[in-house]
Amino acid sequence: MADVKVAEKSGITFGKKERKLLTDPLSDNNPITVQVLGICSALAVTTGMKNAAVMAVAVVFVAVLSNFFTSLLRNSIPKQVRMIVQLVIIATLVTIVELTLKAVDFESYKQLSVFIGLIITNCIIMGRLEAFALANKPYESILDGIGNGVGYGIILLIVAFFREFFGKGEIFGFKIIGPTNEFLLDTTTSTWMGWYASNNLMVLFPSAMFVIGILIWVHRAWKPHLVDIS
Amino acid sequence: MHSTRSVITFVLIMTLLVALALAGMYSGLKPIHKKNEALYSKKATLSAISAHLPTQPSAMAEDEVISLFNNKIEQKVLNMKGQEVDASVVESAGYPGGKAENIDMAKEVKKPLDEQLLPLYVYNKDNGEKLYILYVRGKGLWDEIWGCVALEGDLNTIAGVAFDHKAETPGLGAEIKDNKSWYSQFTGKKIYDGDTFKSVYVRKGGAKDDVYEVDGISGATITADGVTEMLERGLEYYEPYLKSVKS
Amino acid sequence: MELLNIFTKAAFIENLALSYFLGMCSYLAVSKTVKTAFGLGLAVIFVLGITMPINWVINTYLLSEGGIFATDLTFLRFILFIAVIASMVQLVEMVVEKFSPSLYNSLGIFLPLITVNCAILGGSLFMVSKEYNFSESVAFGLGGGFGWFLAIIAIAAIREKIKYSAVPPALRGLGMAFLLTGLMGLAFMSLMGIDPAAF
Repeated sequence: MADVKVAEKSGITFGKKERKLLTDPLSDNNPITVQVLGICSALAVTTGMKNAAVMAVAVVFVAVLSNFFTSLLRNSIPKQVRMIVQLVIIATLVTIVELTLKAVDFESYKQLSVFIGLIITNCIIMGRLEAFALANKPYESILDGIGNGVGYGIILLIVAFFREFFGKGEIFGFKIIGPTNEFLLDTTTSTWMGWYASNNLMVLFPSAMFVIGILIWVHRAWKPHLVDIS
Repeated sequence: MHSTRSVITFVLIMTLLVALALAGMYSGLKPIHKKNEALYSKKATLSAISAHLPTQPSAMAEDEVISLFNNKIEQKVLNMKGQEVDASVVESAGYPGGKAENIDMAKEVKKPLDEQLLPLYVYNKDNGEKLYILYVRGKGLWDEIWGCVALEGDLNTIAGVAFDHKAETPGLGAEIKDNKSWYSQFTGKKIYDGDTFKSVYVRKGGAKDDVYEVDGISGATITADGVTEMLERGLEYYEPYLKSVKS
Repeated sequence: MELLNIFTKAAFIENLALSYFLGMCSYLAVSKTVKTAFGLGLAVIFVLGITMPINWVINTYLLSEGGIFATDLTFLRFILFIAVIASMVQLVEMVVEKFSPSLYNSLGIFLPLITVNCAILGGSLFMVSKEYNFSESVAFGLGGGFGWFLAIIAIAAIREKIKYSAVPPALRGLGMAFLLTGLMGLAFMSLMGIDPAAF
C-alpha cells in the first residue's frame, strides 16, 4: 500500500508527490481492482452509464469533502469516538448528495434508490479517512480524495460501458446496436448495426462480478507486480 | 487522551451543527422535491397515452405537462360502486387537494376493498374523442408493480399502457417498464368480448389470440403473470363505471 | 407463518450477498479460510438481528411524521441508522469482551469491520423501503444475516479448495473470487420466483 505520510510542507504546491497522490489510485493503487474497496455500490449501479456517472460524481464529492473535513479536524477528534465522528461526517455529506439529487435529477434519484445511502458504507471513503486523512494535511487529503474518487469512477464507467453496451445495445441511453434497423435514425448509412440481439445476462447482477473479475485479470496481466501470491 | 467531558461536548456540538445544517437544507429543498414528485407521477400517467401526444412525456418541460393537465385532462375519483365522488370525500380519505392526482395508490390498496378509491383521467383529444386512463396495481416477483392503462373512447380498445415497478430484476422483470416493443403490444388489444369482461392475458411462449393476448417476457414469467393478474383484477374494479358510461 | 416466509425469502431468495451483492468488501477480504469466514458470518447475523429492530423503532417512532416529534425527520435517517449500527457494534464488542473472552478472541477482530459492511446498513434501508412492521423486520434481519453467513462460508470453502488448482497467475486470488461469486450469484438466481408461502 502506498499510504505513506506526505512530508510536511508549508504552503500549497503541486510537485511530484502531489501528482502521485492523484494518479496512483487511477491504476497502481486503484480502489476497486487493487485495494478491493467499495464493491457493493459498484455492482448495483453499473447497469447503465448514466447511473454510473451520477454515482461516480457523488462518490468523488463525498470522498473529497469527507477527506477534507476529517483532515481539518484530525487533531481535535477524540480517539474514543473516532469512528462515529467519521461516520457522521460521511453520513451528512451523503444526505446532502441525496437531497440535492432528489431536487436536481429525480429520475436518477428514483433509479439509484437505496444505493445512494450505501455510499456511507462504501469502504473507499472510510478506508481513505482511516489510512490517509487522519494523518495528513487538508490539501493533500483533498488530492487523495480526488484521486481515489476518480479511480473508482473510472472502473464504474468501464463496467457500466460493457454492461449497457452488450446488455441493451445502448450507451448513455442512446441506441447504438440492436436486433433490427428500426431504431436507427438513418438506415441507409448504418444498416450494419442492426444485427445484435441484446444479451440480457449483462444487465443482471452476476455479470458485474464477471466484468470486474476479468478487469482485474487484465489489469494484473498488464502489471504483474500487483499479482497476489496467496 | 481526551477527557470524557470534552468528548461529550465535541460530539454534542458536532451533532447539533450537522442536524441544523441538514434541517435547513431539507426544508429549503422540500418544495422542489414535492414538485419533482408530482411531475414524475404526472409524466407516468401521460406515458400511457404517449402515442396520442405531440411530444414524448419524458421529454416534456414542466409547464407543458401542467398545461396539458389543466386544459385537456379531466380528473375524476370513483368509488368501488363506479360512482364519482366529490373532492371532500377524497380529502377526508387523507388526500389534501381532493383530486385524482393527489391519491396515493400505494396507500389505497392497503385499505379494505369496498373503501378504496379509484383515480380516473379523461383526456380530451382535439377531435373531440376521449381517452380514459385507468390505474392498476399488483404484485411482481419482488415487490409491487403498477401501471396506467389508457382505453379508447369505445371503452374497450387499449390505447396504450405504461407500467412501473418497485424492485423487479433489471433485464428481466424490469422489462415491463423498459422494453418498448413488449409493452406496445398492448396497444389495440381489447378487454371486452361483447359485454363480457375478458382483460388481456400475458401468455408465456407467445400470444395465441390477437385480440386478448400478448407475448410473455422470457425469464420473467412471474412478473408477467403478475401483470396478467393485476390487469384482470384492477380493470374489473372500473367495470361498474365503464358500464354506466356505455349505457 | 408470514414471518417464516420473510426469513426464508431473505436468507435464500433475496440473499443480501448473492442477489444484491452487499457487504462485498469484507466478503472478499475475509473469505480466505472457512474458520475466519465462520466468525465474521456469525457476527453479521448477530448485528443484523439487533440493529434491524432498533432502526425500525427509530424510523417509526422518531423520524416519520406519525412519530413523537410529529414532523418529517427522514433526512436524519442515514446519520441515525449508521450511528445505531456503529454504537451497537461497539456495545456488542464490549459485552462479548467482558463475558466471554474466548468468543471475543475468535470474533473480536471482525466486529469493527461490520460497521462498514454495507449489508447491515443496506438491510436497514431495504427494511424501510419494504415497509415491514416490527416482527417482520426482526425476521428480515435474522434471515438476511443467515443468508450472508451461508454465502461467505460457501465462497470461503471454494477458495480453500481452489488453491490446489492451476489458475492463471493474474487471475489468482481476487480475480477468481469475483468470477466465483458471479457464478454463485447465477446459481442463486435459480431460486428467484420460488414462493415460500407455497410450502
